[in-house]
Amino acid sequence: MDAIQHISPYLISNYVFPNDIHVHWSMMIVLYPYITGLVDGAFIVAALYYVFGVEKLKPVARFSLIFALAFLCCATLPLLLHLGRPERNLNMMITPSPHSAMAGFGYIYGISMGVLVLIILFIYRPFLVEQRLKSKGVMEILYRLLTFDSTNVSEKSLNMDKKIIKFLVAIGIPIACVLHGYVGFIFGGVKANPTWSTPLMPVIFLFSACVSGMSAIIFAYIITKTFTKQKIDMDCLKILVNTLAGFFILAFCFEMLEVFSHTYLRSGYHHMVEGLLNGPLRDSFWKYQVLYFSVVPLFLLGFICLLPIKQWLYKFTAFITSFLLLLQVLFMRWNVIIGGQLMSKSARGYTEFHPEWFDKEGIVAVIIVMAIPFIILFVLGRIFPFWEKDSVN
Amino acid sequence: MDNKISMDNKISDDRRSFIKKVLNGTIGGSLLLVFSAGAEIFKSPEDIPAQIPSLKNKEYEITKAHFAFIVDITKCIGCGSCCVADKREYNVADGYYRTWVERYLKDYDDNVYVDSPKGGLEGYQSPREDIDVKVRDTFFVPKLCNMCKEPPCVQVCPIGATFQTPDGFVLVDHKRCVGCGYCIQACPYSVRFLNPVTKTAEKCSWCYHRVRKGLQPACVSVCPTGARKFGDLNDENSEVSKILKGPGVITVLKREMGTFPGLYYIGARREVI
Amino acid sequence: MQSGNYSHLIRIILGIIVFAVFGFIGKKLLTPESFGVYGHFRADAIEEEAAREIRHWTNASCLSCHAYEAKIHLKGRHKTISCEFCHGPYADHVKDGKKTGTLPVKKGEDMKILCMRCHNKAIQARPGEVIKTVVMPDHLTSQKVKETHNCSQCHHVHAPLMYIEKARKITGFDAKEAL
Repeated sequence: MDAIQHISPYLISNYVFPNDIHVHWSMMIVLYPYITGLVDGAFIVAALYYVFGVEKLKPVARFSLIFALAFLCCATLPLLLHLGRPERNLNMMITPSPHSAMAGFGYIYGISMGVLVLIILFIYRPFLVEQRLKSKGVMEILYRLLTFDSTNVSEKSLNMDKKIIKFLVAIGIPIACVLHGYVGFIFGGVKANPTWSTPLMPVIFLFSACVSGMSAIIFAYIITKTFTKQKIDMDCLKILVNTLAGFFILAFCFEMLEVFSHTYLRSGYHHMVEGLLNGPLRDSFWKYQVLYFSVVPLFLLGFICLLPIKQWLYKFTAFITSFLLLLQVLFMRWNVIIGGQLMSKSARGYTEFHPEWFDKEGIVAVIIVMAIPFIILFVLGRIFPFWEKDSVN
Repeated sequence: MDNKISMDNKISDDRRSFIKKVLNGTIGGSLLLVFSAGAEIFKSPEDIPAQIPSLKNKEYEITKAHFAFIVDITKCIGCGSCCVADKREYNVADGYYRTWVERYLKDYDDNVYVDSPKGGLEGYQSPREDIDVKVRDTFFVPKLCNMCKEPPCVQVCPIGATFQTPDGFVLVDHKRCVGCGYCIQACPYSVRFLNPVTKTAEKCSWCYHRVRKGLQPACVSVCPTGARKFGDLNDENSEVSKILKGPGVITVLKREMGTFPGLYYIGARREVI
Repeated sequence: MQSGNYSHLIRIILGIIVFAVFGFIGKKLLTPESFGVYGHFRADAIEEEAAREIRHWTNASCLSCHAYEAKIHLKGRHKTISCEFCHGPYADHVKDGKKTGTLPVKKGEDMKILCMRCHNKAIQARPGEVIKTVVMPDHLTSQKVKETHNCSQCHHVHAPLMYIEKARKITGFDAKEAL
């Protein structure tokens, strides 16, 4: 309170509207854009290879797709846990309101799921056909389904597949961008909340999505390859890190631009935003999101991108940086979503948020929701081998 | 004092004998003639005189009806009757408010101190003790749904579970609401909350069920000073029509939000948000 | 068995079409009947809301039975006060013309709290032209009664000035003038 009083004389009574005491969108709504962000970023990595022909990314291209699918499968989970009446979720598909930013989610999600599944099935088709011919019983039925009961891997057929893959990934890029830019717009479209209602919101969400997805791919790539004692493709890693650096610089610039323009314009509810960032969010925003998880990785990225350093150091720094950036995006989601709701619409005070442990949207639920994609990833890995050279072709 | 006591006795004597007479049936038949206010013994509550006279004995035309709600801040005494009535009318769960009353205090440096303990449900029994300033101005502000003409809550609802009726009310379809909470985020006035029992969005409805039966909203009906006014705009003789036609300064809350509220305020100081 | 070069493609496209058709039919079937009559919502929800149980009625409803109180209440300064605010909602008392429960009458300290919700002068935001306020316990001492006195010992709760005015008439003595 002292800090707030010092900053803004308008807030002295710290009055919160009686209905604003509850934070209605809590940790599950933090996870939802985080998970869709990971999907998006991973998909962009795959798209760089399959559409833009960045050949050096070949080692991680397949893994990125499977990774994206594993997380996309769970993207609706936090939403269902959050809904007051989850059993009515189909209403979103039955009567989507044309004037609501949220209504499109069901359809956009459905389409991106369909496109992603098709891309994966087409890419793995030769491998799946081979497996089908080898396997018996239940597995045979599974492979039969996954290959659409076709065993044709003739050159003509595969050439057609290649064209389709390129087409699907190409339409996948705008869909992925819409999926996540649109998540940003869900927040950006709320005029009642001064920290959310900025046209920059979709852009910020999109770039931070790319950052989180690429970081996740780098992180997972280094960790799995190290643990399975396989060789890390340095060319691939360097491309990934460079791209990540580019996206992160953009994301960070836009995040800071938003704060800067609020601070400079000093319009309307500016005192509320300023008080929020310097009051309840002082640690989670300035200390963690900006200093530890943005400025530090920025220097680390500069260090490994610009200086000729030894391979082990490069790998190690890339690993640390990707981890820090994963946290950066998580903190950014938290600060936007939970932080934004800490401001009462009375423009006179801030409420508090204390996460519960065993609530439907509590910490345990968060851990479970974040663990499920990895289980799915593990299962998918049994059917679709992640790494290019593993697949016998 | 003696006088008072004797009078007390006199009245209770009166009352006793009166009741006796009634019980004996001596004046039972004439009861109807005695009290003009209770001239009819109503068989059902529906028989009572309508509080919105223009709606009485008429087919309700949903596409033509037009109402207004006016809050006169200069008359509010912060008794909290409205909050109590609202809570009882809807059995609102503790800690959630369809309507509430705020207390504003302003000092000589233009600092504003606002509070609303329990939404004013228990009234304001004591002055604020946590601040030590010379008070320049102090007043109460009742809050409720603004019934925006362009409601952000309706705009954002993904499934059309909150909607604007042809007669201008913003209501919630409790059978379809999924409880996503987007409308709660979108409402600039924070009048919405998630009902902890039904897990669906809830808000003030200006007592739509009462209005349709010709009754005032519960909070208006119990307001002792007439600080809350509700009426039919199609009726030129209604109090709200006259107020809105007159020269008085009428404001709305958060005009810059572009929601065009249907809830008007009389005497709202600039500090009111 | 060798499949055709594009047989998997044809199956996928057919699958998508079947899925879309089923989705479309499902959407049509599951959309509520009255949806879209007035706009993008279920029109029946309006009537459902209109049919909600009314719990507060009016003073007229209460006073139609409580004739004795009616006589006093309607003449007194408290005539604008809702019966149901102090006593509780009508619906907890009467249902279909029959008494179903007893509503409380506030007594002692509870009553004082109830009175002071409106009449406490210490809450400055109460304009004199709207309501008469007093400071407690100054009011009791200035009226020369014991500090333990309850409001209802001098003021009839339904018509607060009834006793005062009657006393004035009988005695010709005005406490205010005497002060």
